Amino acid sequence: MEISGILNALITVVGSPTHVLLLLIAVPVGMFFGAIPGLGGKLGIVLAIPFVFGMDPLAGAIFLVAMHSVVHTGGAIPSILFGVPGTGPDAATVVDGLPMTRSGQAGRAIGAALGASGVGGVIGGLFLLAIMPLLRPVVLAFGPAEFFLLALFGITFIAMLAGDSLIKGLLVGLFGLMMAFVNLDPQTGAQRYTFDFLFLWDGIDIITAVLAIFAIPEMIALGVAGGSIAEVRQRASYGLQGVLKGIRDVFRHWGLTIRTSVIGAFIGMIPGLGGEAASWICYGHAVQSSKTPDRFGKGAVEGVIAPETANNSKEGGSLLPTLFFGVPGSSGMAILLGAFVMLGIQPGPSLALTGMDIVWTLIWALMIANILAVLMFFAVAPSFSYLSYVRGSLLIPFVFTLTYLGSYLSHRAWENLVLLTVLGTLGYLMKRHHWPRPPFVIGLILGPIVEDSFHKATALWGPLFILRPGAMALMALIIISFGIYFWRARNKKLKKAQNAV
Amino acid sequence: MPFRILLNGPVFTALMMFVVFATMSLIALSFPDKARLMPLIVGIPGTILALVQLFIELRSTLSQTAENADLVPETVEAERQMFTWMFLFFFGILGFGFIYAAPLLVFGFLWFGKEESLKIGLVGGAATWGILYGLFQRGFQIPLFDGLLLEWLVG
Repeated sequence: MEISGILNALITVVGSPTHVLLLLIAVPVGMFFGAIPGLGGKLGIVLAIPFVFGMDPLAGAIFLVAMHSVVHTGGAIPSILFGVPGTGPDAATVVDGLPMTRSGQAGRAIGAALGASGVGGVIGGLFLLAIMPLLRPVVLAFGPAEFFLLALFGITFIAMLAGDSLIKGLLVGLFGLMMAFVNLDPQTGAQRYTFDFLFLWDGIDIITAVLAIFAIPEMIALGVAGGSIAEVRQRASYGLQGVLKGIRDVFRHWGLTIRTSVIGAFIGMIPGLGGEAASWICYGHAVQSSKTPDRFGKGAVEGVIAPETANNSKEGGSLLPTLFFGVPGSSGMAILLGAFVMLGIQPGPSLALTGMDIVWTLIWALMIANILAVLMFFAVAPSFSYLSYVRGSLLIPFVFTLTYLGSYLSHRAWENLVLLTVLGTLGYLMKRHHWPRPPFVIGLILGPIVEDSFHKATALWGPLFILRPGAMALMALIIISFGIYFWRARNKKLKKAQNAV
Repeated sequence: MPFRILLNGPVFTALMMFVVFATMSLIALSFPDKARLMPLIVGIPGTILALVQLFIELRSTLSQTAENADLVPETVEAERQMFTWMFLFFFGILGFGFIYAAPLLVFGFLWFGKEESLKIGLVGGAATWGILYGLFQRGFQIPLFDGLLLEWLVG
């Protein structure tokens, strides 16, 4: 039954010319956003939203998942060639990628990154395929009490990890939750914070909020910084022979490749942990498990393979909490979650009951996109590095236009343009003064789940719903994660004091 | 310490958060019982946390000297320019819609704002028009916003 569903999903992806065409478009677009430092996958998704608007939900979701899954494949290129990470999680690749370029092995490093990304993405997808049947009963066993606490866990966890201040992270998460209460109250029908504006009755548009908090501040910051996005001075050249050698390295170190792929997928499953943790943890694992750890940092190819496999495999893992629990695995997944809702795909436990065909299809799309990324790269290999020279000033007005367009199209309401500008200004203030922005999006998305689950849980079990075993386990998780945060902060402070002495 | 330096960016952001949480919590008191429950559960801790953050930012500002304050004239000027462009895009699109305003604004940004060549400005503007009109309006058959002012003028 399950096997036939999985195979049918594969046929849905590869048997439909529309889906194949969308994959062929999504992969280079995703790599483009990854390869230009400063843009990144989140911006890529928010800007793609106007283009998938009105599309068949499954086709739109395939496009977005495929695009999102190959962002880090593109992001490795400027990390290796110029030491400028295309995206945050690609920073770990710089440590050994740049020394390889400096020693004339740019092609080998690029090939290793490309092969590792492809294999990592496929293993991440396979991991998800394997774990899904085991996890489905767990998802279905979750009740409103567990969902309420799981949503709170997601918000507090990302608040802790998204920035250097816990208070700021929590405040932004709570602010996102508050914004989720702008609507007609689902319990009483009373207007809450709508000030008689009709367009606010259904709540603040998630797409507009995401565009405002991410796209607008990034473009203002890009304009303020000026010049080209990547501060690169000279072009590093490489040939296809080197690229092929790098790909062979991935299979030569097959043990490391598989291990870091699985670790990455596991980390991706933990809500909010994000890609940076995955890539650095796997880099650390590569150093620890090496017989010659002193080579790392000086151009060891394993130092490129480990973070790159993790970067792509964690996307498979993070699809799991996003699709089944409605709790995004990362800030990129939070945006993807908003886009799914806009397309009419409602993530959550109901997907495990009636929407498994969509889940399987998206996993296949993720795996095929990763394979396509490797194949497509060969066609444009030597000229791909030119992307890092794209001048920011050329992109800003187009991004502004697409941002306003995406916001308008999401509800066809001009009032959203006003909301976009106001929230965009706020988003820039947050960026400028180091307030983490991902908790806002997660709070806004999880707000309705939090409220609905809370009312259902209190109606079923009264205020003592928190004493249910599942709820208590999740509360313990929240308390433990707070404990770990404070313990780490204390250690950091002590270390700083010792260094000062 | 002068008020201008005391109310710097970080303090202003924290103050704004405090005002937002406090105001939303107060407004929530006017909602029916069930409707105000969650806004208050979130709003009250939010107000307290924002107050704590405001205190942290004020203490950090007071410990800084006036020279260290977060005011770099070049950055402020660049920010002013970028916000001007953002508002131009907003008012332009709100007034005259996507098809007319966006290509002109893209051209204006590239040619006047960033001093790119006239050719790049024209190509940028034409590409924007091509995507908006050709791809969205004609290709995807998605009617785009015409602009409030243009709707009022043309009817």
